[in-house]
Amino acid sequence: MKLLTHNMLTSHVKGVTKGYPLLIKATEVKVNEVEFNPKFVCRMIPKLEWSTLVQAADQLGHREELPGELVPDYEKNGDFLKKVHRVLLEVEVIEGCLQCPESGREFPISKGIPNMLLNEDEA
Amino acid sequence: MDCDVVNNMNAATRRTKEDKKVLKKQQKASHTLLKHEGISTTSQPTKSLVVANGGLGNGVGREDLFAAVNQFGDVESLLMPPQKPYAFVTYRFEDGARKAHAQLNGKKLQTGENSVTFYLSYVDSVKHREETLVGFPEGLTLVEDFVSLEEEALLLAAVDWSMSNEAQKALKHRRVKHYGFEFRYDNNNVDKDKPLPAGLPDECLPVLQRCLQDGLINVLPDQLTVNQYESGQGIPPHVDTHSAFDDTILSLSLGAQAVMEFRHPDGRAVPVVLPERSLMVMKGESRYLWTHGITPRKFDLVPACEPDVGSNSGLTLRKRGTRTSFTFRKIRYEPCCCAFPSACDSQEGTSLYPPSPPSLPCCHADATLLEEEYVHRVYDAIASHFSRTRHTPWPHVCHFLSSLPPGSVLVDVGCGNGKYLGVNPQLITVGCDRSSALVQICAERGFQVFVSDALSVPLRTALCDACISIAVIHHFSTLERRLAAVRELVRLLKPGGQALIYVWAYEQEYNKQKSKYLKDHDKQHNGEKSKDTTEESQESHEEPSVFTTSLVARDVKDASEMTEGRLSVHTNRTAFNSQDLLVPWHLKGRKTHGEEESSGRFSSRGEPNPDFDSSMSSDTTHSPDSKPSPSDNMCQIPGGSSVPVFHRYYHVFQQGELEQLCTQVTGIKVQTSYHDQGNWCVVLQKE
Repeated sequence: MKLLTHNMLTSHVKGVTKGYPLLIKATEVKVNEVEFNPKFVCRMIPKLEWSTLVQAADQLGHREELPGELVPDYEKNGDFLKKVHRVLLEVEVIEGCLQCPESGREFPISKGIPNMLLNEDEA
Repeated sequence: MDCDVVNNMNAATRRTKEDKKVLKKQQKASHTLLKHEGISTTSQPTKSLVVANGGLGNGVGREDLFAAVNQFGDVESLLMPPQKPYAFVTYRFEDGARKAHAQLNGKKLQTGENSVTFYLSYVDSVKHREETLVGFPEGLTLVEDFVSLEEEALLLAAVDWSMSNEAQKALKHRRVKHYGFEFRYDNNNVDKDKPLPAGLPDECLPVLQRCLQDGLINVLPDQLTVNQYESGQGIPPHVDTHSAFDDTILSLSLGAQAVMEFRHPDGRAVPVVLPERSLMVMKGESRYLWTHGITPRKFDLVPACEPDVGSNSGLTLRKRGTRTSFTFRKIRYEPCCCAFPSACDSQEGTSLYPPSPPSLPCCHADATLLEEEYVHRVYDAIASHFSRTRHTPWPHVCHFLSSLPPGSVLVDVGCGNGKYLGVNPQLITVGCDRSSALVQICAERGFQVFVSDALSVPLRTALCDACISIAVIHHFSTLERRLAAVRELVRLLKPGGQALIYVWAYEQEYNKQKSKYLKDHDKQHNGEKSKDTTEESQESHEEPSVFTTSLVARDVKDASEMTEGRLSVHTNRTAFNSQDLLVPWHLKGRKTHGEEESSGRFSSRGEPNPDFDSSMSSDTTHSPDSKPSPSDNMCQIPGGSSVPVFHRYYHVFQQGELEQLCTQVTGIKVQTSYHDQGNWCVVLQKE
């Protein structure tokens, strides 16, 4: 699970109102090399919840130098874009779980795949 | 010459010139079509002609074509390849061919209810494909003229249809009446301790005595089922329950003839013409192992009676009339000990012949159980095989994806093996599916995916610019759940965002074009190998619609009309006869390329049982309560190897149904609605 995906995921346990963002508890994290496409990264940024991304990167210990807030004129800032690229697309949680911040329910991540299926009583 | 005469002549020539132009254009079109079929035409006159639109596939019968061509000269041979939209005629002398060409080219011909326009071209040679004569299935005999015309009339009059039970309320289905013992459709068996008061009609006695005398049977039958089929009606392939009836089964055909199709588990199919007043005797292999059925249609392909021309007898079309069959059987009281245990309910035990078939759920809990059993467990079991058959993205879906602005957030709900996740790399794509096994395959391909249910997708509201749900919603077994699935898609969309939904269509033939799902069936029947036999279409088949008659008539049946709401098992690659059904999947291991995938080759025990369409799928072993592993569904074929058969639940959508479903969701507008290779498709936009 990449942090791009994590940025979109939310807890959907019945009754939960503050299910976002999910807390990451990772036991295995991998960093892959992914081709850097600045245009693509530029387009992704407005779709993200920035604070969630920073928080998640922090939780994984991969925040590095990612700023707490969006840099103005980031479109032209190659350095910045590279950092975003790394955190969004290169860092990957292979094993661990995602935890609902309200209910505490844990969703397992195995082989990089989060299993978000709810039980009958939770749906 | 008179002024007027000259003017008239000029006018006539002018008209002819225009007609000629049009004719030339049409001729060119027909040449292109023929080329596709491997037929090369020549401009030089020869003795042989190809008659485009003069084929059995156009509803043109042999007699009609012969009458049309015979007037121009001695016809040496007439070849009408089955189901093709053309025919070949070879004259004894070239002169005949020339005359026919001059007179018939561009001519309209009235054949019964249709009119077709012939386009004739010369061909160098006519290739005859030898039709190998196939013998009857082992144990099957046909005795023609078993009853006289008077006896036929008497027997038909003996049936009082007015007292039939409520199973007949849907007039579109064939009529059924039982004597001696009532046949039960919930367990496909007979209540052996509760005989019907009346017994067999007296009128049947002379016929049965004759059977005894002729040595066809040793014991008088005590059960009779009368089936009445109107043109266009049929009965799905089935084996008569072993444990219910003894070996020999007699079936008398009255009122009209029909073609019955016998299928062996190894894939062999034998069509048997049952003439009027003939008696069919099924014993042994033909009774215990081969399935028999009658395709619902209005015309049958039968051998041409008159040896009018040429060496090969050829085929022609025979319109169906109303046929009434009298099927006589003897109730069996001890367990069946036949030599065909793979098809035997006495010998395989109840684990493979469940008493309770699945029925349509009426509540959420039942629906969940049904889908767990007949969707989720199946996909998890067949995932890798399934994935191998889903490799080519459909063009229209690709078009939708490619036209999204770069950087759009796309969610594929029910992404399967990830077929669409990589189509447009400029998008921010995430996929989800209920099947862990399929999601695993996506992950291996490098896509971002997670496991979730389509009814509750763990993504933020109004997150997506677009979402797609291809071949997903038809797996939900109640209207409420299907609606909930659409609502969930809408929730995910940003205002202005669009969703593309594809579901399997009830109508597999649309605008007279068969979907690839059906076409592959025809191909297989003609002995051709189809390279892709999935339920989806791969290449867009630009096949010309020279077919002017639909040879496949369907019984339209929706869930409410089904007896007790039981789900029937569908025969792969045929038209649907119900909206809610179980579709077999024959699991294949990693074997040869181009092997037939989920085809109806292996006649699994899952075919509906005797005499009634809405009977159970005997191959689906489990009631929702027991949860055995999917490997229990084994179908044994002769030779020892077992082919696992799984059944997936589908609700196929009728025209307009998907659109109607979507409009029930507030805050959206249906942008487009179309039919794409056997699917109904909708693009909706969130307001």
